[in-house]
Amino acid sequence: MTFFIGRRLAQALLQIWGAITIVFVALRVLPGDPAELILGSQATPDQLTELRAQLGLDDPLLVQYVRHLGDVVRLDFGESWRQGMAALDATLVRLGPTLSLAVWAMVFTVVLGFLSGTYAARHANSPIDHLISVTSLVGQALPPFWIGIMLSLIFARGLQILPSTADGTMASLLLPAFTLALPFVGWLGRLVRTGILEEMNQDYVRTAQAKGLSRRVVFYVHVLRNTLVPVVTMLGLLMGNFIANGVIVEVVFAWPGIGTLLVDSISFRDYAVVEAVLTVVTICYIILNLLVDLLYGYLDPRIQLENA
Amino acid sequence: MAPSDEVGRREFLTLLGAGAALLAGCAPGGSGTTPGGGTARPLSAAFNQAINDLDPHGASAVDEASLLANRQIYDTLVTRNGGEAAPSLAISWRQPDEKTWEFTLREDVTFHDGSKLSSADVKASLERLAASTGPQKPLWASIDAIQAPDAKTITITTKEPLGTLLVNLSLAFILPAAQLGKEGFFRKPVGSGPFAVESFTPSAQLLLKAAPKYWGGAPALTGLRLPYIPETSTRMTSLQNSEVDITWIIPPDELARLRGVDGLEVESTPGVNYFLTWFNCGRKPFADPQVRRALHHALDLKSIVASLYGEAATVMDAPIPAAVFGHAAQDPYAYDPDLAKKLLAEAGHGDGLRTTMMWFKDTGPLATELAQSFISAWAKVGVTVEAQQIEKAAWIKRLTALDWDIELQVNTVTTGDADYTLGRLYTSAANRMGYASKKLDAVLADARSTPDQDRRKALYGQACEIIWKDAVGIFPAALSATYGLRSTVKGFQPAANGQPEFRTVSTAG
Repeated sequence: MTFFIGRRLAQALLQIWGAITIVFVALRVLPGDPAELILGSQATPDQLTELRAQLGLDDPLLVQYVRHLGDVVRLDFGESWRQGMAALDATLVRLGPTLSLAVWAMVFTVVLGFLSGTYAARHANSPIDHLISVTSLVGQALPPFWIGIMLSLIFARGLQILPSTADGTMASLLLPAFTLALPFVGWLGRLVRTGILEEMNQDYVRTAQAKGLSRRVVFYVHVLRNTLVPVVTMLGLLMGNFIANGVIVEVVFAWPGIGTLLVDSISFRDYAVVEAVLTVVTICYIILNLLVDLLYGYLDPRIQLENA
Repeated sequence: MAPSDEVGRREFLTLLGAGAALLAGCAPGGSGTTPGGGTARPLSAAFNQAINDLDPHGASAVDEASLLANRQIYDTLVTRNGGEAAPSLAISWRQPDEKTWEFTLREDVTFHDGSKLSSADVKASLERLAASTGPQKPLWASIDAIQAPDAKTITITTKEPLGTLLVNLSLAFILPAAQLGKEGFFRKPVGSGPFAVESFTPSAQLLLKAAPKYWGGAPALTGLRLPYIPETSTRMTSLQNSEVDITWIIPPDELARLRGVDGLEVESTPGVNYFLTWFNCGRKPFADPQVRRALHHALDLKSIVASLYGEAATVMDAPIPAAVFGHAAQDPYAYDPDLAKKLLAEAGHGDGLRTTMMWFKDTGPLATELAQSFISAWAKVGVTVEAQQIEKAAWIKRLTALDWDIELQVNTVTTGDADYTLGRLYTSAANRMGYASKKLDAVLADARSTPDQDRRKALYGQACEIIWKDAVGIFPAALSATYGLRSTVKGFQPAANGQPEFRTVSTAG
């Protein structure tokens, strides 16, 4: 176990270093730099030179990179020129809203996905099963920005029963969380349905039924629990997806999370914030992956972590 | 499985649930507690740009959204009132000689933390601004010294006569000297304006509360919420859904619809934002003014602007909008494709011409549509223009490097004074579009230095004429500042610069 965690930590550090390096290079390859965006279209070459020197942008790239790595080790991503504060602080301020959105999207996905999947499996090949499959396919196919705008038009502009932007109430979480969750409800539902149907064909089900357990008990106590193993591990990865890919939903619903921050920071070449956001997202992903691996072994003790 | 495992898993799930509930508790964007414990919710006003930074001397110092916030939180020595400087923190000023200005400060001004505003604060703020490397730097380049001979007097000396000093001072926000340089000051800064900062999340939301002791009279509102809503459709929805009380700018295609909605009103006023299309006058083929004029004659601006923008924009008759001090109307370039072809042929381009035009999508409303209607009109006179819609950062890089033929942008006359645009962009020294005219240089320098406002106006009139006749660019449309508000909002005045005053606004019902 200790060996496993040690190896994973080493891997994680390597992954974070890789992410930082890729982001650093990608940002510098893009045309335009912060000095040009701060001074805007009215800048003179002298002012640009002065500001570049002040921001440390006139050093050779390798020097900037090594300095950047050194800073990151001390958790210092530098000052954000657009947010007027340390980039990491600016990111952490926005992480809360993104996490609460992700958690609620997860709640929607799990509740609706399990309900629809279980129901479809219990009534396999019935008209309702087919209806659920078709609906889930449509839900996965529709682009989230379109769903978001439609939901906002219907429930906020038309019916006026839900807020369209973050206003601090639980109600304002509903539309964005549902929009984020929708494509994955169908995905999870199908996963659950397939899992259940596969489990139902296992020998232990026949054994349990043979020893006189009712269908209901067999289903809820044995089958459903065993279906959980693959599903729960997928959910960990889904959580990472919700954190990293909430961008579009955040923009549509004016949700003050890291997604909107990231988009803005990229277009204004706010290097420090882009680097801080992506590093934080990378760390979230790595932590979730690690949790998933641990959970996997925990839910199914037959799986040995050392060999994972 | 062992029973202990069972319990562990349940505990795990319970923890997960508790975590979710905890996170849900921190749903963002709340207006927090109402100032004074009253039940009234703050007025909610959504501009279409994000407020990033409350440092009025920093990198965002001329962002329209930052200026909007700064005007609520801080004061300036003077404000602008229809082209004239009006007293604010300074109640009067005089010019002992042409390079010296002396301001007498208002005496009853306190900052939001209760401390008294004195000339030391003004001196420290102006010096901080003059030393900044931000976008306001060019405005303060000729400041020589700032002195505070006594608590209510400020003397500014300039290296050369500066007729635009008063205008520039309307962008110079005053901060408390004692708190400058304090770590984290600009997260919750203190000013002397009509509203004090309650909380601030950069580029998400600024929450303000009324400053009851404001020297100009306490605001009628208890609080003011300035959220940022990036998606236009959502912003319109939030107005109709009563989540915001006022929002601006309203895009041209939404104006008519909003007028038809019960409980909403639409107000608009000529603005200081305008589309401009520069020619790179420093390189072929646009070094020849004949070619530039030909391209101007090829455009039916009246019908293009009317069909794209309706009431949200007007065709311009000068290189700056009519709402700007120094504007002087010029004769329009008649729409005449035959004349355009003739001029092109005379200039040696009878067989046609290939060139490029660059812009970025968010520069202004329907920018891509406007660019495309130009390009198709030019195609009819034999000019093939390659469309280059690029990202803003790339656009700025190429613009300042003069690496383009034709470009389209929305420009803002931030101070509302012609010097801000004409005086800074069109000199040969600035070299923004490769155009150089000794005559124009002399007129602009003269206009900047003279303190006589009538003379300045006449000189900018001359500058308008030179730029217009030489067709340095095409100036298609001045954009209106368009506001949508709920009928319950009273006392609101639409502002040309997108920075309305909220002190006199109140809500009914």
